[in-house]
Formats: sequence, structure tokens, C-alpha cells
Amino acid sequence: MASVSATFVSFGCSFNQTKCITAGKNCTISLGMRNHTLTAVRFPRLRVSCLAKPETVTKVMEIVKKQLALNDDVPLKPESKFSELGADSLDTVEIVMNMEEEFGITVEEDNSQNITTVQEAAELIDKLVAAKPEQPASESEQKSEATA
Amino acid sequence: MLRLFRIRRDMLGSAVSRRLSTTCSPLPPTPLPHRREVHLWYIKPEEINDSSSQLKHYMDLLSPSEKRDVSSLSGERLQKNAILARTLTRTTLSRYCDGRVDPGSIKFRKGLYGKPEIMWQDGDNIIKPPLQFNLSHTSSLIACAVALETPIGIDVEEKKRQTVKSVLAVARRYFTVSEVEYLAAIPYPDIQQKEFIQLWTLKEAYVKAIGRGFSGAPFKNFTIVMGSDKRAPKMHIEADSDCEGLADNCQFALMELNSSHVVAVCMERDQEISDDEKNSLRLKVWRTIPLIEDELVSGTETVNYICGLS
Repeated sequence: MASVSATFVSFGCSFNQTKCITAGKNCTISLGMRNHTLTAVRFPRLRVSCLAKPETVTKVMEIVKKQLALNDDVPLKPESKFSELGADSLDTVEIVMNMEEEFGITVEEDNSQNITTVQEAAELIDKLVAAKPEQPASESEQKSEATA
Repeated sequence: MLRLFRIRRDMLGSAVSRRLSTTCSPLPPTPLPHRREVHLWYIKPEEINDSSSQLKHYMDLLSPSEKRDVSSLSGERLQKNAILARTLTRTTLSRYCDGRVDPGSIKFRKGLYGKPEIMWQDGDNIIKPPLQFNLSHTSSLIACAVALETPIGIDVEEKKRQTVKSVLAVARRYFTVSEVEYLAAIPYPDIQQKEFIQLWTLKEAYVKAIGRGFSGAPFKNFTIVMGSDKRAPKMHIEADSDCEGLADNCQFALMELNSSHVVAVCMERDQEISDDEKNSLRLKVWRTIPLIEDELVSGTETVNYICGLS
């Protein structure tokens, strides 16, 4: 049973087994098809709400861990808030810049200021990456197409 | 160094139980700040033992929701600093209430953008001083600034704080064009880093003074211009920015604490005094271990004025 508390939800399904769900701000979605999505997720205790690609979440965690110099024993979860991990505004700003460099995206001011958790950051990254124009084909691919 | 007040540690237990049985605060009363005067109280977390009973006593001062917030933080260091931050706020504010307000009883609310404010309660206590305050912390210093009536913002940063990216990269991304030009023109990296930290803390202090915080007032919308020769920095709103809610009548001051931290303070300008020179902010600074020790450090080498202060 899906319950939605925001006015805007869109579903995009484009990866093998992972359903990518994007939603407006302040939206929590609980899905009855929990089991399908959980098989693709590496965090078994994660409640399914606004799921981003696991590899994006992992990369964001790496960036955060490096920026904040977190020890291995610090519990880092997708729902971890940057402020609860000890990040001040200068840290958050650098985390955003690192994400931009890592994923080749630009985060607009008004978006960057709304990223407060690992999960929110990962969702925004996935959205921006998906919205990027397609990369031109490499030269060898173009040649093989021409001679085929 | 002037020691104002010291309780021996073995008296702390009885001081606390007295606090529990009466509404009197054991903190020595402090006179209210004058107009244009900022009072700054700070804690160095290293001066308080991690597992001491002191921390437990401080925890007793916190409200249930503050205790929950502390528990949600990752790791002992963050939790300790959060306890100290709340303790500093509560004990500092109660100092200005003539011994009649218990630090643990003060209630707070949040402004529109989340800035904490005092919410004086009606009741037996008729003390309701119009105090404005703001808190800032780094892992090594927690500071609370207090002023009378005028909204105030403070930001503290370690002087030698390094950014992972270059300071110019961060500046290009978040500062205004003129601020980037100012920084780019500095030929020495360590001075450039120092000026960047000063600009950053000034901008933070401003957005905190106006109650909007970093997310409510993008840094690209206003420029801070550093003054020369100890003159106060000035600020103007960028022409093509969304200037809703940005006050343009603010006053700044910058100082160095313990040769280790940069502290920026921002307060709205007093409209009735027009001359900038006479309108400089005055400052009093105390190092404190709440309920244990207070030390007035302004006027000593602990506090080094950079600009904007008389």
C-alpha cells in the first residue's frame, strides 16, 4: 500500500532490478513492493523511502567520511545528517563541491542548501546525473558504425 | 588575568543540590550589556573532562528534547560538545537575570529559519530581559554572544582551518565576484587562507544575525568589504540578487581568540548614531567553565582585536 504525503511523485524505472523513485521534498513513501527493492539494496535495515542508487549512496558516504575525517567506528548511514556527524556549513559546502567533481554535475545554490543527509545528497546526484545530456560516442565506435 | 568567581570542585555537588531545591542560580549575576556592547562567553571543551561528573551535572540542565538531540549525535566528542553548547547558552543567559532564573528552566523557540530565541515564561519570575544571543562552535571552542535588544550573530573558526579544496575554488563557488577578486589578489597562500577564513566567518555571522542562516541567505547575494587599518568591515547587497530579508544596516567586528580562533560578530547598526567611528562595537569576553570558573579575558593578550572594535 503506497502512501504519499507530498503533492508530487514521479516513478522512473531504468535499471536492471533497482527501481529509482524520485519525489518532491518532504515526501515519505512506503511501498508494498518492499521485497523487490530490498534485494538490490545493500542496507538491509533501510526503510524504503526515496531510494537512490546504492553505489551513489556509497560514494557520497566516502566523500563525507573523507571530508569530516570520520573514524571507521562512526556509524554512517544513508539517513545520517551532516550536522549530526559534526559538519558545519564550510564542511557541507566542500562536500557539495566534492560531489560536483566526482559526478560531473553542478548543484544549484537552492538545491545545495537543502541537502542535509547522505540520502538527500545521493538522490539529488542521481537526478542531476540522469538529466545530463548524453556523452558523444567515442571515435572508435563512430568508425565501426561507419564501416558496418 | 582577573578571576571573578570560583567554586571549588568539591562544592559543586552541594551547589547543584541547592540549585535543585531552590530556583536561585549559583552563577554570579552579570550586569546587562550596554547598547553597542557585545558580551562573549566561551568554553574550551578540552578544559572539561570527558567522563567527569561535571558533564552529567550539565546534562541535568538540558530539556528532554535537547537530551534527545544529544543522544542522536555520533560519538562521544560530538555529544560532549553538544552538552557544553546547550549548557553555555543556558548558564550564560541566566547570568543576566539577577540570580532569579534557573539555567535549566529557560525555554527556547525557533525563529522562521530556525534561529534559537529565548521564550520567557509568564509566572513567578518577573525578570524578562530583552536579551539577544547567538551560539557558534568548532570542535575546540564554543562561544555564546549576548546583546541587549539588537539581533546578533557570531561565528567562530579555527584560524588555521584548511579547506580540502583551494580557498579560491570555494570562493569562486560561493562568494561574490568582488570578494573573489579581493582574495585572488593576495599573493601569499597563507595570508589568502587567513583572509578567506575571516571573510567566511563574517558572512556566517551576518546570516546568523539576520536569522536566516546559510541556507536562507545565499552568500552570493551580499559582499563583505574588509576595511583598512582596523576599520570595521562593511557590507552591501549585490545588485542583481534576491535581497528579500537581507538587512543592509549591519555592523561587524573581528577578533582573534587565544591566537587559535577567529571570531566574527555582526549586529544591526544603531540608527541614532551616524558616525562610524563612534559606532564601533565594544566587547567583553569571558572564558568560562560553567558553575566552576569564570575569567574575564578582554583587555588581555587572549583577545586580539582585528577590526571593528573600540
